[in-house]
Amino acid sequence: MGNHAVSYGVMLARAQVIAAYPITPQTQVVEFLSEMCADGRLAAKFIKVESEHSALACCIGAATAGCRTFTATSAQGLALMHELLHWATAARLPIVMANVNRALAPGWNIWCDQTDSLAQRDTGWMQFYCDSNQEILDSVLLAYRVAEKSLLPAMVVYDAFYLSHTSEPVDIPEQEEVDAFLPPFQPPYFLDTDNPRTFYPLLGPEYYMEFRYQMEQAMEKALKAFNEAGTELKTIFGREYHPIEYYRCEDAELILLTAGSAASTARVVIDQMRVKGYPVGLMKIRLFRPFPGQELREALRSVAKITVLDRNLSPGIGGIFAQELKAVLVNSPKHPAVFSFIAGLGGRDITPQIIQQALEITLANDRPVAHSVWLGLQEEMINK
Amino acid sequence: MRDEGKEIPKKLPGMIVSFADMAWNKTGSWRYLKPRYENKTPPCSAGCPAGEDIEGSLRLLAGGKILRAWALIKIENPFPRVCGRVCFHPCEAHCNRGEYDRSIAINRLERFIADAATQKNRRVPKPKIRRRERIAVIGAGPAGLSCAYHLTRLGYPVTVFEALPQTGGMLRVGIPAFRLSREVLDAELAELLAMGIEIKTGVRLGHNLFWTDLKGFKAVFLATGAHISRNLAIPGEDIPGVYRGLEFLGQLNSGQKISLGKRVAIIGGGNTAIDVARSALRLQSEPHILYRRTRNEMPAFNEETIEAEREGVEFSFLTAPARILARAGQVSGIECLRMELGEPDESGRRRPVPVKGSNFIIEADNVVAALGEEPELSYLDQEIKVVRGLVATDAWQRTSKLRVLAGGDNTSFRRTVIDAIAAGKKAALAIDCFIQERGLEALWPKIQIGANGAFSMRQYLKIKDRGKTRSAEIVNLSQLNLDYFAPAERIKRPALALDERRQSFKEVNKTISQELAGQEAGRCFHCGVCNNCENCYLYCPEGAIYPQRTGLGYRIDYDYCKGCGVCMEECPRNAITLEEEER
Repeated sequence: MGNHAVSYGVMLARAQVIAAYPITPQTQVVEFLSEMCADGRLAAKFIKVESEHSALACCIGAATAGCRTFTATSAQGLALMHELLHWATAARLPIVMANVNRALAPGWNIWCDQTDSLAQRDTGWMQFYCDSNQEILDSVLLAYRVAEKSLLPAMVVYDAFYLSHTSEPVDIPEQEEVDAFLPPFQPPYFLDTDNPRTFYPLLGPEYYMEFRYQMEQAMEKALKAFNEAGTELKTIFGREYHPIEYYRCEDAELILLTAGSAASTARVVIDQMRVKGYPVGLMKIRLFRPFPGQELREALRSVAKITVLDRNLSPGIGGIFAQELKAVLVNSPKHPAVFSFIAGLGGRDITPQIIQQALEITLANDRPVAHSVWLGLQEEMINK
Repeated sequence: MRDEGKEIPKKLPGMIVSFADMAWNKTGSWRYLKPRYENKTPPCSAGCPAGEDIEGSLRLLAGGKILRAWALIKIENPFPRVCGRVCFHPCEAHCNRGEYDRSIAINRLERFIADAATQKNRRVPKPKIRRRERIAVIGAGPAGLSCAYHLTRLGYPVTVFEALPQTGGMLRVGIPAFRLSREVLDAELAELLAMGIEIKTGVRLGHNLFWTDLKGFKAVFLATGAHISRNLAIPGEDIPGVYRGLEFLGQLNSGQKISLGKRVAIIGGGNTAIDVARSALRLQSEPHILYRRTRNEMPAFNEETIEAEREGVEFSFLTAPARILARAGQVSGIECLRMELGEPDESGRRRPVPVKGSNFIIEADNVVAALGEEPELSYLDQEIKVVRGLVATDAWQRTSKLRVLAGGDNTSFRRTVIDAIAAGKKAALAIDCFIQERGLEALWPKIQIGANGAFSMRQYLKIKDRGKTRSAEIVNLSQLNLDYFAPAERIKRPALALDERRQSFKEVNKTISQELAGQEAGRCFHCGVCNNCENCYLYCPEGAIYPQRTGLGYRIDYDYCKGCGVCMEECPRNAITLEEEER
């Protein structure tokens, strides 16, 4: 299952300190990693904590001491970490976290929804969205590599149950291969009683902006590092990862853009539509932060329309990926029309029919019919 | 970004890091409350007249260090085997655990420790006699021998004069073997006397020993006990078949044959009455205790009374003898009066008042009068003051005559073994202070335990090189952090089966196993005493607490302690005190 793929990734990455608090649907990650620590497969310190806030605080402390650290959470747990998410980034600590996308309460819901991680957009964490268990394992390794290169924390994000609890074959790389890809973490500064420094001191207006600017530059560096690492991964494991994954996009006039496990379903729909003669393609967004804006602008230059399928909601504005895409396109002349669709919130299935419906609506209209179109809604039940 | 003379880099670092360290910033200066380690007095020790370090010996016992536990007890008390059997253990009544679930079975643990040490052939080493001042002790009971023991350990040559042919005093003549086996008593006495104490038996002051004979001694300790049974003061007291309690026990304990009839009436409610009744039971008689007040007013130790009841001793309360009846020159019964409780008397107990015309007869073949004992003091010289039939002493056992001290049953109405042992120990202290010309009054606060007159000999012995290791504050239950403790059952104390008891004078109580002893010692809260539990060290948010290199206790780095008080709060046993910082 996807949760175990995470644990194997963390084991292969030789994480040194793990602090995590269990929450459905992430629980097996904590269980399996604590077993690995107990039976010696993983020589890491597993710190039991009383909350997600403490879990991340432990990781921050350990990373400041120069350790490779890991935590995992979901939904409410991630929300509880919010303050420390900012802290980890500004402190420039390459902490890696797995977040299982789960809907936020209330109403209590443990099922898939991307709003939890997307709501942490401005905390400065890198976010890698996965759509297979193999990708989850590989993304953990990628995340450490890119994070340590850019000194930014990274979140590996995947869908509740569709990935977290679904079993599929995963190739687990050899330790030596991983060691070659991921050398030990060497922080530029770390807590060292023999060489005392003051970490995170008062920082007044005279320097604050400069440090924030350096952080923003690091995001750019991270994008480059991701591409490099994704390519290098191919030479070692035979699998390649880039910020955007293109599927049948070469001659496409209409592009479907989505993230997470809905992309798997979308490939099937694209194939079916192609058979029927529609020139459609799929762009799967893997990297949400840093957002690959430049690449998207170029890739969509000759496309007339784009369908964005969001399994998330920013209330008052709609689907978040659609918003991000519009933002990067708006200054390009003749940019494609962006059709925004919302589906699958709170774990409702995104079926091939739903995806097909989104594409058909896009094909049938020159301009978007609404700011965001909600698909699969039981309209008759809604109080108007 | 303070730099303290370090070079300021031209470019900003990749992380928000200052190259200056903060070692100059001793955050302890923010403190306005200051924690310090302060061991306090556990209530058990304060409750023990002899001031035994019970907490300390239980800690050693729980750690498997039985012999060290024994050595710690022996510093304060020469008779742990005896006390582990017959002490009325006021320590247990004071134990904080008693308020929480049930008190620690301290008495049984003392017995276990002492018996185990004997089994391992451990003896108190023979001390070197370093002093020339000879000390005389009159009476080889628990008070006299305790005094002799402590003085010997302090290096004095001691001579003990005992009127009876054997040592032990009331331990021997007054306590029956089913509570204290002769074997155990003899062994503990022999161990003590082997330390180099000179003992002269068959020597009674006023008969074959005189005050002029004692001139060569620097100090004299009078521990002659209370051996005269009180009279019944009713008609028929002299009829054959009427015994006095202590006489009865004395004869029995010395192996003399006592012929008893079937029904034995015992008059009194104290420990002697109970011991006589339980002895009579073992002599195949049917004992019947007559007491003029109720069960609640009985001065006997409750635990012993309960055993007597279980063994089948009959009790008649609110029953006072008026006349002993005879038939054919032998006791045939007692005419009694029914009593009722009136106003409280000077002892605080309600005074029994006879009910007019309530006379009735209880049949009996023997009567034993166990109304208590009084000291025989005709040997005293006139300089020694007597008050209410007791030798008058100050708080340190000193009589009105210089260099003469007294203690035990002849100075107090609290006639218990441990009180006698405590009196002897205190007399030894007073004698040492007198000879060494130390001011006892000034020294006392440094060695006292609790406010009931107990003191620590251990503390006295090391007073020169160290300050007081435990404050006088007695820790109560509300001062403990009970989050760290869980209820745990007190051990069941093994005893001889009821049906076996009538068959012999075998000890009723048994020594517990090492496993049970360790388990029971593990229940100890260690009130007020640091036992290295690590809580302060683990909780200190400043990392300003360090374990001592010796492995005992912790050290606070006041350069960085901000006085938050978490250590004090999380100390389960109140061994940390928080005080206002002096500025």
